[in-house]
Amino acid sequence: MSVHTSSGTESDTEVVVIGGGSTGCGIARDLAMRGVEVTLVEKGNLTHGTTGRMHGLLHSGARYAVSDQESARECITETRVLEDIASHCVEETGGLFVQLEEDDDAYYEEKLQGCRDCDIPAEELTAEQAREVEPYLTNEAQRAIRVPDGAIDPFRLCVANAADTERHGGRIETHAPVTDLLVEDGEVVGVEIQHESGPGKRVHGKEGETEEIRAEYVVNATGAWAGRIGEMAGLDIEVRPSKGVMVVMNVRQVDTVINRCKPKGDADIVVPHETTCILGTTDEEVSDPEEYPEEQWEVDLMIDELSKLVPLLEDARTIRSYWGVRPLYEPPDTGTTDPTDISRQFFLLDHADRDGVAGMTSIVGGKLTTYRLMAEEISNHVCEQLGVEGECTTAEEPLPGSEDFSVLRDYMEEFGLRSPIGKRSVQRLGSKAEEVLKTGERNPVVCTCEAVTSAELRDAISHAGTDLNATRIRTRASMGNCQGGFCCHRMAAELSPAYDERVVRDSLDELYQERFKGQRHALWGEQLSQAMLNHALHATTMNRDRDPARKEEPGIEYGAFDAGPSPGVSGDGSTRATADGGVRSDGGTPDSGAGRSGKSAKKREGEHGDQ
Amino acid sequence: MSTPESDPTPEEHESETDFDPAGVFEDPTEMDLRPGADSCYKCSTCDTSCPVAEVDDDFPGPKFQGPEQWRLKQGDDQDIDPSITDCSNCMRCDNACPSSVPLSQMHNTARGEYVEGQAPSLWNAEDSLAEGEYREALTYLRDVPSEVSIEFLRNRVLSNYGTLAGLGSKVPRLANLVMGNRITSWANDRFFGIPSERDFPEFADRTFREWWRERGGPKVEREDKRVAYFHGDYSNYNTPEVAKAMVRVYEHFGYEIRVPTQRCSGTPMFANGMLRDARRAAAVNITNLSEFVDRGYDVIASCTSCSMALRQEYPELFDFEGTREVSIHTYEALEYLRIHEDLEEELGESKADFPDLAYHAPCHARNQGLDRQAIELFGELDSVAVEDVGDSCSGISGTYGWKSEKYEKSMEIGGEMFEHMKDAQGETGLTECPTCAMQMGHGTGYDIRHPLEVLEAALVD
Repeated sequence: MSVHTSSGTESDTEVVVIGGGSTGCGIARDLAMRGVEVTLVEKGNLTHGTTGRMHGLLHSGARYAVSDQESARECITETRVLEDIASHCVEETGGLFVQLEEDDDAYYEEKLQGCRDCDIPAEELTAEQAREVEPYLTNEAQRAIRVPDGAIDPFRLCVANAADTERHGGRIETHAPVTDLLVEDGEVVGVEIQHESGPGKRVHGKEGETEEIRAEYVVNATGAWAGRIGEMAGLDIEVRPSKGVMVVMNVRQVDTVINRCKPKGDADIVVPHETTCILGTTDEEVSDPEEYPEEQWEVDLMIDELSKLVPLLEDARTIRSYWGVRPLYEPPDTGTTDPTDISRQFFLLDHADRDGVAGMTSIVGGKLTTYRLMAEEISNHVCEQLGVEGECTTAEEPLPGSEDFSVLRDYMEEFGLRSPIGKRSVQRLGSKAEEVLKTGERNPVVCTCEAVTSAELRDAISHAGTDLNATRIRTRASMGNCQGGFCCHRMAAELSPAYDERVVRDSLDELYQERFKGQRHALWGEQLSQAMLNHALHATTMNRDRDPARKEEPGIEYGAFDAGPSPGVSGDGSTRATADGGVRSDGGTPDSGAGRSGKSAKKREGEHGDQ
Repeated sequence: MSTPESDPTPEEHESETDFDPAGVFEDPTEMDLRPGADSCYKCSTCDTSCPVAEVDDDFPGPKFQGPEQWRLKQGDDQDIDPSITDCSNCMRCDNACPSSVPLSQMHNTARGEYVEGQAPSLWNAEDSLAEGEYREALTYLRDVPSEVSIEFLRNRVLSNYGTLAGLGSKVPRLANLVMGNRITSWANDRFFGIPSERDFPEFADRTFREWWRERGGPKVEREDKRVAYFHGDYSNYNTPEVAKAMVRVYEHFGYEIRVPTQRCSGTPMFANGMLRDARRAAAVNITNLSEFVDRGYDVIASCTSCSMALRQEYPELFDFEGTREVSIHTYEALEYLRIHEDLEEELGESKADFPDLAYHAPCHARNQGLDRQAIELFGELDSVAVEDVGDSCSGISGTYGWKSEKYEKSMEIGGEMFEHMKDAQGETGLTECPTCAMQMGHGTGYDIRHPLEVLEAALVD
């Protein structure tokens, strides 16, 4: 319920959750399912902060089995839950901890024992067996421990949590940064947000506005940004953001998560993620979660180190790199200097107890694998404050998309799609596949690298508005080897005619730039050639380097093109341009040629309507 | 690869692709070619060069069949799209790709996986039989009828043409009579999916190998010029005159010729995804040929698809000992003579009693850089006019045009070639490839000859 005032809009709700990452989305869903009225606000897209910049590992817990057994136990429990409730976001790849010659035997034994102590199924493999599982694994491997690690798509996970929140009456506002906390009598009573393009779905060019949302309780789930929100109420939250680099390979060299079996260190994991492999990572404290250096040596280190595990990586194609910041936290006065020693546990900071400011709790630390458990505990806390009685059901209720479904189908018969395209579509859409793909309309593939069809894009756009990056994370369109070079304009075309030409152009530009941004750290070898080809094609066919249509008024009248030439212009056929094969310069038509060439020209004309 | 100055070295050969999955995977159908997708920039040049995509709007094209489909594979999923069987294996995409994507290797391997999935019990039964476990074989055999389709059987028979031809050649006249019969032809079309429009190639009264034995083997023996002849099935059973021309021309230049025991090169098996059959045949060929290579012989093929198989497909798909050596030492017959002999000089001084010719370069010759050799060479021969009929595909691609459901597409692809042949001055066709020759003859009614026959007419008395 919102009211317009002179300075913007006002509304109220029971709980405001700040932050559209996995934790925030998880809390919003949990509260909504318990019948609490909840509004989630996020300054960018869902997953914009840390969640969208993780390496996609679904932890079996083996990684923490030596150093932090409490986390390890939580991980294996939650992984089992997610395999069940988020099956369309999870791939049960399995994982290997591989010991190389220089790696310590004692640590290997500790790892094995640690897994067993924490009830993580662990199977010992000889080097030969390990290479049977992963043929491209190095010959230097000594032995390996097989554990139930998996891969998870953080984008689909958050989107599904948000969608379920809305289904239970909650409200999700993206591109709506919090500009202030509303504090009255030493108590947080709500937030002020700035809608970049008005409330609801994002539409480029729509005018922004501010909104005050009054709430009974506020949850600060902004992770590495928690300190910034705290400041708005004079609170001091000592988050210690730590950056890590991830390098995305063009193909899956492995289908199993490959970990190096040694005490924590940089560059020790390869995660098969969707069509790619992601190499990770580093751990280095930074002062600002948004402004930190992204350096080439970090990328080089990933490739150099991980080639020791999978030699093929050394000359393999990388398509982009990205950095994420962990929202590490430790209670004041712990005094840890090395960020890798800071606990991966999460902390619930009730500011009433801690700082004497009621009405808000912050959640910091933690990791994606246990997001649901974290959400459950925060929701319990919030419900306690509100006096709401309600059981948590998030461990049993599947997320939208993860209700019963099977990827074993006759894709051509059922959806009219080629097998690999149908299979990837169903893997992404899960139980939504039929509703989305069976539209009865023509359904061409728009992104050929990732096998995304027009129907899937249209469905995503119906949730994401003109924000093509939000459509991208829902579908993976433009995330393959050409990085949007061959499809981002086709994706933008799906916005038309619902949105007008200038809006579509702005959306396209934003996506194209975002796609280039990540490639900057992969510009050698094949990806450099790809980027150059993309640039050349876009510059020559769409004037992307210097487009006269980008100029302000009057711009180009696209309507005039679409409507065809006006009657006065076409007049004498022999003077018209002939680039489309319509009329030869000698005045004859291609159809006057004999046989085959005439036929193919005709065919091409006929196809124009489809393009 | 075929310039007279530089013989291929092993180093050059290895640099053709960036990674070497054959060193990692033992079974070709298990080969993981996803890393090959790294070289693809999505430019689609392969699609624009694909003769099937040009006439078949439902065929998704080599880019989809190759790098895209491979990149989308996860783990050991078996979801190869059935459209892989519509690829004719002309291998033009290999040549078209500006970035060395191993397209035909991807297609061959994917097709192998697809066909493997079509008849698992049959393959298991054959494996058990080979290991002498007859009881086990029998249990597998029970499930074979429910899995195996007529189309599968037809493809297996077509790809094992040599076995069929071996039988037919025992009784050539009877076989020709039966196969040429209208009722046989109708029944083949109706029940087996072999188009009645096609005439079965006739079996020769006497095979090349019979002729070779009766002749007493080589007439020339010498240490410094020696070749091992890979004649392939077709010139053994159907066109021994081509194989005999090879022998006469090579002996004219003083080469010692040996004719090793051999089986089909595997080309039709690759094209039909029968990789197990191809593997068995290749094992025999590589074992026998590499013995000769070790003793200093080069391998000569008179069929460009055979030389293609030995040179490119074997090392891409198999890792038998000697595969690489055989690949490096294999040449097409004309190519080899052009490297080592002064053919131009000899031809310039000679006369051939031969009709004027319309030459078609087979796709597989094109891939080996041999598409201009006949035109360049016979330009020296004043008595015969040889005209190139252009760079289109003949459309038959081995067994592709021998399938009823592909026949019309095959003829549509060949349309341009037929038209240009009719426009050419000569009314006799010329090509290195036996199935291109069938298609050329079928579309024009012309007699089709082999370049070795022209050389024989010009140089051998």
